[in-house]
Amino acid sequence: MFDMDASKLIYIQIADWIETEIIDRTLKPDEKVHSQYQLAELFNINPATAGKGLTLLLEAKILYKRRGLGTFVAPDGREKLLAKRKEETLRKLITKLLDEARLLDVDDNQLLSMIEAERDRKKEGLL
Amino acid sequence: MTVIKFNNVTKSYRTHSVLDHMDFTIEEGVLTGVIGRNGVGKSTLMKISAGYIQATSGEVQVFSENPFNSLKVSANSILVDDTMSFSDKLSLSDILKEANRFYLNWDAQLAQRLFDYFSFHPDVRHKHLSKGKKSTFNAIIGIASHCPLTIFDEPTTGMDTAVRKDFYRALLKDYIANPRTILLSSHHLEEIEDLLEDILLIHDGKIRFHGPITDLQEMLVKLVGKKVNVLAHTSKRTIFGSQVNGAYSEVLVENKFTADEKIRLSEEGIKMIPVSANDAYVALTTGAKGGIDDVFNRTATD
Repeated sequence: MFDMDASKLIYIQIADWIETEIIDRTLKPDEKVHSQYQLAELFNINPATAGKGLTLLLEAKILYKRRGLGTFVAPDGREKLLAKRKEETLRKLITKLLDEARLLDVDDNQLLSMIEAERDRKKEGLL
Repeated sequence: MTVIKFNNVTKSYRTHSVLDHMDFTIEEGVLTGVIGRNGVGKSTLMKISAGYIQATSGEVQVFSENPFNSLKVSANSILVDDTMSFSDKLSLSDILKEANRFYLNWDAQLAQRLFDYFSFHPDVRHKHLSKGKKSTFNAIIGIASHCPLTIFDEPTTGMDTAVRKDFYRALLKDYIANPRTILLSSHHLEEIEDLLEDILLIHDGKIRFHGPITDLQEMLVKLVGKKVNVLAHTSKRTIFGSQVNGAYSEVLVENKFTADEKIRLSEEGIKMIPVSANDAYVALTTGAKGGIDDVFNRTATD
């Protein structure tokens, strides 16, 4: 059965899948999204579970509903997702960096100057 | 609308009660998995719901009637299991023809397509089918009957892996096209967990859990990290299972952590990993007797 990232619950995987479709522009603003029944058949899961994935994105206002017509991508859905993913990914990387620094006894001042030095080196490389 | 209602239902065989003061309701259109260890009363519950046997005490209502001796329940339900019997006088194709007369919503086209897909011979008698083929044929009857209450008791017994997969896929597709109330039991929760909306978990004659399968999946969480760190976070919690691998340990606990606690967990390098419904089920139904290892440990120390 469906197994993209087994460490996540199936309805969260469904939401992730739709998010990626929006980010890579497979799904465009105001385009219709698969119904919970189509998703259920596509991923071989119960329609109620597929519906929970859609609900997550509706609550985050990435998608919107039109009565009787279905579910659509919000005009600013992609921007919202990009902002969310940037925030999440960067924060994760920073947490990892801080953990590693603590492990190696690198204090905050040292770490900050290392970040600055690395940024300067990159700038020089670009010139 | 409520399709099945059990109110304080007990079923005893001589002095042994299988179902012990059981209460639950099944709503219309929900696909529910009936899950429990061997001999826990899954089949008994299903037979009572279909009106095959009577409860010892308590009140059972199916389509608002006592299912025992109810024509309404009989006409609107089907129970598929490995004891389904058909007349030896009829060939398989005759059985399909009779089912067409018997079941109001019978989908003859679908039945025939499934019959051909699974390569049945029309002239064969039911009693001459192999175990797996019998189960497959019974499952076709169960799907094509489109009964408002469809009950499958271990429908995949004897089916090989490919046929089991096909059956679950066929059931899901048909359920999406023709939503109806379905009860499905299986020993292999991992095979059906994505298919289910709700789960009815029976243990020791009682309902241990009844609700959306996603709630069961989110009820417990696995903490994985260094033994000392994990211990500090789990000492005051109910532990549903644990495993030690060297300096690391995995512990199953209730998924009740505040945002602050979650931050502290990740700071200490402890991962929170979601639990499959199957793992949660095993954790919730492992009794005070411990695991199979304990049987051998006890023998060794005696």
